Amino acid sequence: MSLPAQEKERPRQRFELDDRGFDEVPRRYRKYYRRFLGAGDVLAPNEVLCPVCKVVIRSVRELREGDRVYCMACMTRLRVVKVDGRLEGRVEY
Amino acid sequence: MPEPEIHSLSPEQFLERVRSFEFWFGAVQGYLEGREYGRDPELPEERISDPQREGLVNVLCNYCVGETAALEGAGGLIQLAPNRPTKVFLATQTADEARHLEVFSHRLQELGVNNVEAEVKRRSLPELLQFKARLLELIDRGEWAPALFAQNVILEAMEFAVFQRHAHNADLATGDILQGVIKDERRHIGFGENVLGQQLARDPSLRPRLRELRKELDSLVLASFEHTMKILGAPASDSQELGQNYLRAVERLGFA
Repeated sequence: MSLPAQEKERPRQRFELDDRGFDEVPRRYRKYYRRFLGAGDVLAPNEVLCPVCKVVIRSVRELREGDRVYCMACMTRLRVVKVDGRLEGRVEY
Repeated sequence: MPEPEIHSLSPEQFLERVRSFEFWFGAVQGYLEGREYGRDPELPEERISDPQREGLVNVLCNYCVGETAALEGAGGLIQLAPNRPTKVFLATQTADEARHLEVFSHRLQELGVNNVEAEVKRRSLPELLQFKARLLELIDRGEWAPALFAQNVILEAMEFAVFQRHAHNADLATGDILQGVIKDERRHIGFGENVLGQQLARDPSLRPRLRELRKELDSLVLASFEHTMKILGAPASDSQELGQNYLRAVERLGFA
């Protein structure tokens, strides 16, 4: 997966994750997920939406195209892709 | 030493971790602890009109039909599953489906239905019964991938979409029960899509068989959709949107 040179060089932002009350996974994993609040919900640079179950997946680092993330709520593996300038999760089998 | 981020696990490590009773206990504890028959016991019982009650009883009876199919289906699939984590996951799913049947049956009793079994039998949609019969036939024949497709993609995707829509305008107690069921359903649809996605990648010759099965079962699923939406008083646009959600799941597997 190739990234623009500038993006490759720029260090990734780091994020402190907090528990947002997502109760569908065991307590120690809750910080990695939150509920999607609908059309007006703008995702942060460390977040991507699971297309299978519509839960927001969170990471401790800024996500970039090509990253792998997991949705524990529906047990899906996703690859981060850029579509129309926005990051999206694409299911990988 | 701090635990590594969940996203840094290998796919094998991730699946080993989530397809387990250890994970399942921790997950369901989060949203079922303190509940009685799937609902917050402190929630007040809303007053509903007789026609609303009649509609709700009708819908819940058919949820019981769907959940019975899912219970027998998930239990039957265990013997066909190819490995331990898959069998273990299906055992957790079987427990989930039994719980759904129990909470919907209990809700029917709360609504004044004395003989739940008889009422479910009387109100069952023929399309759903046909779907159930077909699913169990696939399991009896030992057709792992087609049976999993029918159960965890087609049936679960339909239930997921219908329950989500119903939870939006249900009475407080029914809505609360549905929210818990939806949380279980997320695991089931993801599991089905992932296992089948991997299997199709390894063996594309399965595709025509699943395509043919989809063609056969789609009409049964969509007829059940429409019936339920009509009883719930949802506008036609909602019914179409739900149909789309279901179709998107099937399309991700390449069955557009």
